Amino acid sequence: MVEGNYFFPLSTRFVAARARPVNRLLRIEDMQGETLAEFRARAVIVSARMGRLPRSIALPDGGRFETPDNDGVDALKRALGLGNPGRFLDMIERSRNWIALSLAMAAVLSYAFIEYGIPAIALALARATPPSVGTAISRQTLDLMDRAMLRPSTLKPQDRARAQALLARVAQQSPRGPKGYHLELRHGGAGIGANAFALPDGTIVMTDELWALARNDEEIEGVLGHEMSHVERRHGLQELYQASMIPAALAVVTGDISQVSQLAAVLPGVLVETHHARDFEQQADDDAAAKLIAMGAKPSRLADLLERLETSHCGKTGCGSASWLGSHPDTDARVARLRAETK
Amino acid sequence: MSDAGAAPPAAAPRTYEFEFRGDGGEYFGIWIVNLALTVVTLGIYSAWATVRTRRYFRGNTVLADHAFDYHASPVRILIGRAIAVGILVAYNISIAISPIMLIFWGPLALFLIPWLIVSSLRFNARNTSYRNVRFNFTGTYGGAAKAYFLWPIIGILTGGLLIPLARRVRDYFYINNHTYGGRPFRTEFDAGRIYGIYILALAMWIGFIIVAAMLVFGFAAGMTPIKIEPGHGSGMPSPLLILAVLIAEIVVIAIGVWLTTQIFNIAVGNTVLDGRHRLGAGLSGWHMSWILITNIVATMLTLGIFYPWAQVRLARYRLSCMSLEARSNLDEFTSEAFATQSAVGEEIAGFFDLDFGL
Repeated sequence: MVEGNYFFPLSTRFVAARARPVNRLLRIEDMQGETLAEFRARAVIVSARMGRLPRSIALPDGGRFETPDNDGVDALKRALGLGNPGRFLDMIERSRNWIALSLAMAAVLSYAFIEYGIPAIALALARATPPSVGTAISRQTLDLMDRAMLRPSTLKPQDRARAQALLARVAQQSPRGPKGYHLELRHGGAGIGANAFALPDGTIVMTDELWALARNDEEIEGVLGHEMSHVERRHGLQELYQASMIPAALAVVTGDISQVSQLAAVLPGVLVETHHARDFEQQADDDAAAKLIAMGAKPSRLADLLERLETSHCGKTGCGSASWLGSHPDTDARVARLRAETK
Repeated sequence: MSDAGAAPPAAAPRTYEFEFRGDGGEYFGIWIVNLALTVVTLGIYSAWATVRTRRYFRGNTVLADHAFDYHASPVRILIGRAIAVGILVAYNISIAISPIMLIFWGPLALFLIPWLIVSSLRFNARNTSYRNVRFNFTGTYGGAAKAYFLWPIIGILTGGLLIPLARRVRDYFYINNHTYGGRPFRTEFDAGRIYGIYILALAMWIGFIIVAAMLVFGFAAGMTPIKIEPGHGSGMPSPLLILAVLIAEIVVIAIGVWLTTQIFNIAVGNTVLDGRHRLGAGLSGWHMSWILITNIVATMLTLGIFYPWAQVRLARYRLSCMSLEARSNLDEFTSEAFATQSAVGEEIAGFFDLDFGL
């Protein structure tokens, strides 16, 4: 016998009532024992057990019996010969072992997703992205940077011509060929300084400061080879996709796509993206080294420039504070790797 | 006792407080099992997970000692999701074949979205019950198109001047089309009040932007997403940049939540059910911001583990600030007869899980 409330058919009106099995019938009666409703057990729908939620028994005429007595309802179901398919779910949701197992599984799978899933998906998406999209992104990015941070190059015409010639020379080593790249020279100023970056459509931007920092052509060729690798391997697009994967994954897993949760996902997205950026840099260094070797130059030339770049960015103010470039402990590792490839 | 022949006692109003009885630890078990089963079944279980989650939150929402309930069938939601995934795949394939297909998809989305909104609201309302009686949503396709497209566009075209009015149209559409046992919810409030809230929020915004513009200018360089430098391409963004992004995020959320909460109070606080039962809402905008921001921070710091407690905490506060001033013991409601709920759109909408957050 289970005590609860009986709601009259299709109505909010209720009375205190009891539910009990009578042979294969479910009988609802009021506290005086008067029968209020009686149905075949197979005709009623008992809600599945979950936490401490009240249970309800939906009756075929639109009436309803509701009770907080979960164990009572389970006993009632047994007495009526009804199966209890929802019981297992409720059991594992309250079992420490199952919860621990679920948690471990979620942790392992999240790690696998971040470590292997995200790069794989981003690569597939980057490959599937039509070139027109890459061109549009590149144009917008360069436009934005020109307005916000970059200034026109102040290099002498002969230096510019030499830079273009170096690009064409290195591009011979790239499957895209000289037509696949386009060099833009800019003055970096205080914000950018000595720097170079690649855009998805093959545009490579190099600053005057980087040009000035280099001591020979081979160092510049190393930088250009590095940037060309980013273009060949579509690293730029992959980074874009990687950063947006975390918010998307969170939306799928939590089913929560409110603005607040999306904002909260931005930062983890950026962190995951920077985590994978390390691999891209290493790949680009290796490709640059291969190009330098093919051209008869030493990969250590790029290492020389990297070291000087580190000093120029971090020398005056110290890496951690004023410069957003910050300190990058693995510059040493990159330099060592390039030097090793020289032998 | 002695007032012979007085008016029936039904006229005396009585205020009932909403309350949330869920528990973070209990919900954690449900949530993590949902998550694990969803992954193991490659997403198929997500339909069941959605129903269990909604049932947990509605079932723990209590008014006058009676809980709400949720009745949606997971299989229907699963079918809807399958169709939604099919549409997404078709969209992506057609775009990959030819970007010109966007000309076809653009207008289609324009028609699809109001339909999805109405279907989703109706699906969730009809599957929600309180005291054996179901809710319903009677909004039309045209109404949704007006509330979610026409008015926001008018708001933007007028340089934002009519955005508060557009917001009121949306709230009216949402609330005034909901019914309980066939009896209407009705809200009505002065446009002036909603304008006041927007003007205050705008003032806070401008104040923040002035301060931020001075501070952030130096860090703008870090925002370009595909910048790849040879010397410094890997490693972490500097702590300063992270801090700047964090502060901006927090302020954006705080002002946004404050605004939404103030409007919620007005819209819900002026809502009357069946012309006599009055809803009350007295949430504090800053307290809501505090809860949401600390929830986000705690969820991030715990790598997501805190999420169930965060949701429970939010529901508990929100409901603790809501009440119903009833003119009867609410015995008079009866269920309306619905046509069978077989429209496919109702389930597709479940996939997109449109969150209106009112």
